[in-house]
Parts: sequence; structure tokens; C-alpha cells
Amino acid sequence: MFSAVYFESEVRDHPRTRAILERYRELPHIECERFGQIFNRKAQNFRMQKQYPALILARKHGRKVLPAPAGYGFEAGQSHYFSHMLNCIYDCRYCFLQGMYRSAHCVLFVNFEDFADSILQSIAAGSGTQVFYSGYDCDSLALEPVSNFAEFFVPFFAQHPRAVLELRTKSTQISGLLQMAPAPNCIVAMSFTTEACAKRWERDVPSIEKRLKALARLQEAGWPVAIRFEPLLPEADQKAYASLFDLIFRRLDAGRVHSTSTGLFRMPADYFRNTLKLYPDEPLFARETRTENGIVSLEQPNREAWLAELEEMLFRHIDPASYYRCAN
Amino acid sequence: MNGEVNLVVAHPLEAKELIEWFELGEVEPRGKYRCYENKKGIALVISGMGVRNAVNAVDWLHGRQSPGFRAWLNVGIAGHPSAAVGQGLLINRIEHRRSGDCFWPPIPDLGLQGCGLVTVDEPETTYEQDAAFDMEAAGFFAQAAGLTTTDLVYVFKIVSDNRENPVDEVNLQRVPELLRNLESAIRKLVDHLRERSAAIADWYGMPAEFESLLRRHRFSATRKAALAQYCRRFCALGMQGRLSEIARVRFRDAASLMTAMRLELASASESGKTSRQGAE
Ligand code: SF4
Repeated sequence: MFSAVYFESEVRDHPRTRAILERYRELPHIECERFGQIFNRKAQNFRMQKQYPALILARKHGRKVLPAPAGYGFEAGQSHYFSHMLNCIYDCRYCFLQGMYRSAHCVLFVNFEDFADSILQSIAAGSGTQVFYSGYDCDSLALEPVSNFAEFFVPFFAQHPRAVLELRTKSTQISGLLQMAPAPNCIVAMSFTTEACAKRWERDVPSIEKRLKALARLQEAGWPVAIRFEPLLPEADQKAYASLFDLIFRRLDAGRVHSTSTGLFRMPADYFRNTLKLYPDEPLFARETRTENGIVSLEQPNREAWLAELEEMLFRHIDPASYYRCAN
Repeated sequence: MNGEVNLVVAHPLEAKELIEWFELGEVEPRGKYRCYENKKGIALVISGMGVRNAVNAVDWLHGRQSPGFRAWLNVGIAGHPSAAVGQGLLINRIEHRRSGDCFWPPIPDLGLQGCGLVTVDEPETTYEQDAAFDMEAAGFFAQAAGLTTTDLVYVFKIVSDNRENPVDEVNLQRVPELLRNLESAIRKLVDHLRERSAAIADWYGMPAEFESLLRRHRFSATRKAALAQYCRRFCALGMQGRLSEIARVRFRDAASLMTAMRLELASASESGKTSRQGAE
């Protein structure tokens, strides 16, 4: 999966660093002062690096919990996000991370305890339910066997019922979760596109069938699960979405799905520019686009009607009260 | 498709085997540096010793080549405190001792032993750090990485001296033999770099129509950038044939050409006519 492990001198003796270096003992281990020396260098080629990504172990300094962008996620109180990881082991062509970062290497911040302290402070400072998203700059579970992220954070959140954790993922790494007692305030939110879109644009991602199976097992075990239809791509027709919805809601107990959302393909304009530079040969980005308020989306005639029709199909399966459109 | 690779070595004895393996012929007339090349996209320059020479030789070679997507590889001998003489090392960290600058060459999965390296101004005799020592890599990497992506710049060193066999006892005449013993590793590296530079050329090369349209009309810098983007979009959308047809049509000026291209792209995008539409 990785070509090498870089680690900051500062975390050399951290138990998580030691465990990960031991796990990858056959790979080169390279010490650095700051992860940015490698991750933020100029003139890197993200697309090429995706073919041999490295893992970088670092300490997260500064603010660890940030307000979630308006319109991101479900409405259940104040929303925050925290990123124990930057980047993802999967390679979805539509992913904004490829436009956001110069490097395709994965950064794992090993100081989970500091994140937990910051989360506690946010809970204490806020009132009512506080929602925390962990999958904004990475996939929450894809690296679980290496990071043990959920193994640390799920029990932590379970002790703080006023906080809700959304683990957004396309991964099937759920064995750790299945060994724990389900936490009612930890939601596993699985993202889906249509079969054709997944085949075409989601490299190294578990198949829809496998994701669905994982989600069904979690639901059976009592875990709250959620569905994210993101990004919606105009490439797929209504029939493809209809069969995706049928497939998913035949397998899951729709009445017990925490929430379902949709979100159109969208990307901040500067990330889109970077992505286009990386993939000038990608048909998805060669389409007509529109830019509104600094966000690029794909031009699509009758977009609103198209979306309304999708929602109508969706509401045959779910309660509209559990649905939202993700705007960010 | 074979990509292009530039090899940089400090000493003629480090070049000898490479010239033979890759059937490189000397470029005449001789310029500031001795340079060799073949017709398959491999070039080699002998830089002389030291960081400054490495920087200048990279610059010089780049300056005499046409624009393109090339990988760069520095091959040479190095000291190491404990590694055996003859051990090949793919360098994954370069520290320039004088400036303190650090560079991070890529680490491909080729099964080659990785190692950090310190570039020094004088031959290392104390071998204090657990790293390889050379006199060129930092200059080479800094300069080559400024000409391409850092992901196409590699450094491969062969241990020529260590604590047991100190640098002042190195017999330079043995250098070709050290390289010869690592022929398959070096060939593997060069092949890998050729693949990578070919991939980059494939991803980012412009269709031939772009050049021919540029010759046909006068474009401002902004229009030229837009034309490049339109040409790429035609190709990405699987409309190369249409682009060729457009390139043959006589337009009044650049503006009318651009309008025609824009309209065509818009209608292709609207009808969802992409290269792979319906394939799944
Ligand atoms: S799984 Fe998510 S985070 Fe990972 S590449 Fe795909 S879209 Fe990006």
C-alpha cells in the first residue's frame, strides 16, 4: 500500500509511530523535521505519486478542531470537523483532495489524545448537541488497521453523548467496530455513486456490493448508519440512480438509517484548476462547468428538476425528514 | 512509448559502462561538458565533481534539449560508514551539509536498498553520520527538480568506500566494475524512469493540432492558453477526429476559430457525448 514511511523526529518515540514502523518494517523509514518538508514541497505531481504513496507520521500542531463549512452535514447542532489524516489511500477522480494538496502521500497525525482534548473543549464550549466529522480531509476508516483511529475515538465519543461523531467512509474496514458495543452517537456514513460512476471514477475503492454488505452488518449489529449519495454526477441517468436506491434500501432497514443525503459534484475553483492541470485528459473535467461563489460544478441542463426527480425516487424509500442536501 | 531520461555523472569512469549499455554516442562538437546520447531518448552528461558543477551541467544539458518531459538520474559512487563496497543505494533523503537544505527523492517500489545521503564539499573521511556521502547529489537534485516534477528526479549511488576501506584508498579504475556489478539495478531504474517520463508526456503532451493552429493564426498569451485548454478538452472528450477537422478549416482569425471550438465543446458537453459514453 505504501512505498515508505516518513516520520517526524518529534514523534519518533510515540507508541503509535513505533507500532506503525514495526508493522511496516520492510519499508524504508525516513526521518524528517516537519511533515511539510515532504508534503508541501513544490513541483510534486499528485497523479504520479498516487502510484507509490508514502505514509507520513506527524504531530498535529495548532487548531485541531475546526467549524464545519456551512451546509456540510446534517442539522443537529453545532458542527465541527477534525482531521487526524490528510489524504486517502483510495483514488477517486472527482475527489477534491487531489486539488487541495500538492502531495498524494498520506499524513497520519499520531497525537490522537490532543485531538480528544480539543474535542472536549469544543463540547464544553458549545451548547446542545455537537457534531464532529472526521472524514473531511480523508476517509475515516480506510486506514483503520494501521491507524486504529476508530478504536480510539469511538469509545471516547461513547463517553460523551452530547457529541455525535460521523465516520464518513467508502471503506469496509469495520471489523474493529463490530468488536465494540455499538455507540448510538457514532454514525458510520457510507458514500455511494452509481455502479457505472464507481467503476469509472473510484480506483481502489471497495465495490458497492462490499460497501453495502459492510453497512448491513453494522446496522444488524446495532450501529447507526447513514447513506451519502455523493457526488451526484450528471453522467449517470435516473435509471442508474433508481437501481442504486433499490439495491441499497432492499438490503438496509431504511427506517433505521440515521440520515440520507445527496450532494452534487462541486469543488472550490482553485482546487478544480489544480485538478484540471493534473488530469487534462479526464473527460469528467473536460465538460462545461459553472463557477458560482468560487465553487465549480458541472454544467447540467435542468439541474434542479433532475435533482428533484432523484429526491422523489429517494423518498419512495426513506422518510424525507431524515434527508438533506449537502451544500458544501 | 519510451520516455526520455537524462543521466548525470561526475566522472568519466562513472560514465563508461552507461555509455556502453545504452549505446550512447558522444555529441559533437564538444561543448562545455562532455555529453552522450542515443536515439532512444537517453542522454548523459559528465558534470565534473562538486555541487556547482552538478548544477551547471544539469542546466547546460537542459539548455541544449528541446522542450519535453524528461526524467533525471544521478549515478555515482559514494562513501558510507558501514555499507559494503559495491552496495547500490537508492537515495531517499539528501542533505546538503553546507546549506542545511534537504531534498526528498521519490521512492519507487523497485526492491532497491534505500538510504539517506549527505552532500559534502570535501571527501568524507570520518563517516560520522549513518548515511551515504557524495559531492554532487544536492546540487543535481535541486537543479533538476526545478526543471521537472520532483517525482522524476532520482539519485542512485554505489558504495565505493567505508570505514574499513577509506576514501583515500579508492582505486578509481575499479569504478566501472562497481557499476557493472549493478547493471540490472541501474537498467531497472532507467526503465522505470522511462516509463514515468513517458506517462507524464502522455498525460500532459499537447495534440499536434495545437501547434498547427498556433502557426495558422495570431494568438495573445491569454488566447493561447485558452486554445491549449480547448485542444485538451477535445481530446479528453474523445473528439480528436473533430479537432483534426477543425484544424484543417480556414477561419478568418483566432477569435472565430475559438468561438467555433467553444460552441462545439459546449454542445458535446450538453449532450453528454464523452469518449466513453454508453460504454458501461
Ligand atoms: S474515498 Fe473519499 S477521500 Fe478517498 S479518494 Fe475517494 S472521495 Fe477522496
